[in-house]
Formats: sequence, structure tokens, C-alpha cells
Amino acid sequence: MSSQVAAYWYVFLKGVGITLWISWLALILGGAVGLVIGLLRIAPWAAVRWAAIVYIEVFRSVPPLVLFFGCFYGLSYAMKLDLSPFSAATIALTLTASALMAEVVRAGIESVTRGQWEAALSQGMTYPQVFRYVVWPQAIRVMLPPSVGVYISTLKDSSLASIIGYVELTKSGLLVRESTGISFEVLLIIAILYFVINYSISLVGAALERRFKYVH
Amino acid sequence: MYEFALAGLLPYTGPLPRAIVLTLWLSTLSILLSVAVGVLGALCRTSTSLVLRWIGGAYVEVLRNIPLLVVIYLIFFGLAQVGLRVDGFNSALIALTLNAGAYMTEIFRGGLIAIPRGQYEAARSQGMTAFQLYRYVVFPQVFRIIYAPLGNLMIGIVIGSSLASVIGVEEVTTWMRRAGDETFRYMESFLAVGVIYVVLAQTINIGRIVTGRWLLSRAPIGHRR
Repeated sequence: MSSQVAAYWYVFLKGVGITLWISWLALILGGAVGLVIGLLRIAPWAAVRWAAIVYIEVFRSVPPLVLFFGCFYGLSYAMKLDLSPFSAATIALTLTASALMAEVVRAGIESVTRGQWEAALSQGMTYPQVFRYVVWPQAIRVMLPPSVGVYISTLKDSSLASIIGYVELTKSGLLVRESTGISFEVLLIIAILYFVINYSISLVGAALERRFKYVH
Repeated sequence: MYEFALAGLLPYTGPLPRAIVLTLWLSTLSILLSVAVGVLGALCRTSTSLVLRWIGGAYVEVLRNIPLLVVIYLIFFGLAQVGLRVDGFNSALIALTLNAGAYMTEIFRGGLIAIPRGQYEAARSQGMTAFQLYRYVVFPQVFRIIYAPLGNLMIGIVIGSSLASVIGVEEVTTWMRRAGDETFRYMESFLAVGVIYVVLAQTINIGRIVTGRWLLSRAPIGHRR
């Protein structure tokens, strides 16, 4: 590594921190929204189910980059909101992550068989009790490994925040590239940093999967 | 109060058909190329050679863990510095293909390892040629396993093609940015382009569902639900 690029180590480090922070925030928010949408997706009323399907399909079909623009410029102009790049990026990432999480939640809850619902209800448990003590503990095990996948996907999508001027890891790299004039090396460092972060997360995911595999 | 006026975009609809065609062309090319990469990658990953398995595995892990945007920048800006000039469209095509190829590899590998070895031996012992074995025994079963994730990945490729806009390829997302910049009708151009992407992605999605129904209707009796 040339010393010219190495002098900017703190910019890279800060970029890593910000990328981790915004993707984590989007995962938590997306998880909360996704939980609600996922539950609506399996609601007993067809109209509600369809609304949830439309939500999931729309935010799965529209590219995150287009969502970033819609949130940053579209919402700012239309609603006179004057969103910061950070808020716009968080909203866009949350929308994408929530559509993915909704499917994870649905798969998790549907993995618990109908018979268990019936058995628990026949024991005199109420619906919230069945959900809390019978369905949820099993569903969360099914949901954990794919949630790690959603986190990695969200972390990668967060690189798009660089387009609207939010200084996360990718934008940090582009700034260093501009001030040093060195492209290949800087971008390679960025790629390696992303790889190290995501690969570590996927190793944690694989460990979780192994751990929960034999529980059933 | 903001007045929603889709008509404000009308003067800019001229280049839109071309932009849509370019998005479709870029997506179609990288779907076809990444299928080739994926088949090759899956053969590496399931090969008996340790070196090939390792190369296949490393390729998948590296490309799956780096954002597509960074791969595009590496090819477009990075290679230019090393002396290799690749234009915007080809940079996007190479990056998309490398990225999707890693996912394709995993999809095809999943299909291949689901076929028990005994079936290969049984088919060969019946005097089938290698071509017949793959055409009549392996492929029909693999296709049943991979069509669903394949459909999802195709949607992912169409979505990923939007990133070509950052290096100046005049596809749909570039049109959205330009129309927004010139009219300040960002919300309208966002919604218009959002609808275009939803239509493209859902066309693939419906194709996937129809394929699933068709496969189910042709399934051997025991496999019908």
C-alpha cells in the first residue's frame, strides 16, 4: 500500500463505522416494519394479505438506487421535508430491508404447523399466548439464519447512499480517490473492507444456523 | 403546497423507450452470461479437484460479499488506471455478470448436488450417452429445483442493472435522474420509473409462477400435491 493512501487510514476506518451503523439501524427498523408486514401477510383477511403482498412485491421490485433518489429528491421536493442524506438513506434502506424481512417472518411463522396452533388453543391458551409461548420461540430459530442474509444485503445496499452524498465506506473511498488520484488501490481497499465485514457476518450466520439446526 | 403533475414529464418521454430497451438489453445479456458463469462455477464447486473447488468457493464468497457498486467502480475507474479502458456499458455488464454469476453458481450447485450419484450410474449402465444422461435424467430434475431461485435472481439482475446509471449508461434510472433534474419533478419521475421496474420484475415473477404451475402439472403422480 502506498503511503499516500495509507495516510488516509482514519477515513476508511470511519467509513467502516458509519456503514456498520446505518446498516444496523436499517436492519432494526426494517425488522420492525417487516415483522408487522409479515404478520399482515398471513392475516385471515384477504384484503389485508393482498395489501401486504403489494408492499412486499413493490419494494422488492424497485431498485434500491431508485428508492434512494425517490426518498432524497422526491420526498424532499414533494413534502418540503428537506431530508438529510442520512435520513433519506435510512428510509430507503428500511423500505428495502422490510420487504425482505417480511418474507423471512412469514416463512418463520408458517414453519410452525397448524396442528400446534390447534393443540395449544385446545389446551385453553389464548391467541396471544399461543403466539408468545408456542409459535414465536420456534419461528425465531427459523428466522435467524435468513435474517443474517438480509443484514448482509442491507449492508451492501448501504453503499448506494454514496450516490446521494452520504459519506459511508464507499463515499469515503471515492473521496480518498479524488484527493490522491489513485483509483485502483483505493477501490480495492474498499472492496476488501466490505468483504472482511460481510464474510465475518456470514460466518456468524453459519454458526447460528449450525447451532439451531438440531433443536427441532 | 406541492402539485403532483405527471404531465410535467411529457416533454422528456422521447428518450424513455430507448432507455427501457437498454435496461432490458443489459439485463438480458448479463442473465445469459451469468448462467454460463454459473454452470462453470457449479461444475468447479462440485468437481473432484480440490483446487477447482477452492477457486469456485473463493469466487462465490468474494463476489457475494462485495457491493455491486464497488465492483462497478473497480472495473470502470480501477482498471482504467491500470491501463485497461472499459466503457460504461461493458463495465456494468462485466460487473453484473460477475456478481450474478456467484449467485448462479450457488443455485446450480444446489441443483446438481440434489441428484444422487446412483442415478448417473444407473443411466450410464442403461447405455445412455453423456448427453442423454444430462438431457433426460439430470436436467429435468435440476430445473425443478432451480427455477424458483433463478426467477428471483433474474429480478435481482434487472434491479442491479440500475447501478449502470452511476457510470453514465443511459438506461431507465439515468432517465429518471435527468428528467428529475430538468423539471424538478423528482417525485413524478421516481414514481414513473418505479412503475416501470415493478412491471419488469413482476413479469419475471409471473413467469416464474406459471413455470411452477406447469412443472406441477407434469410432475410424476407421486409428486403431485
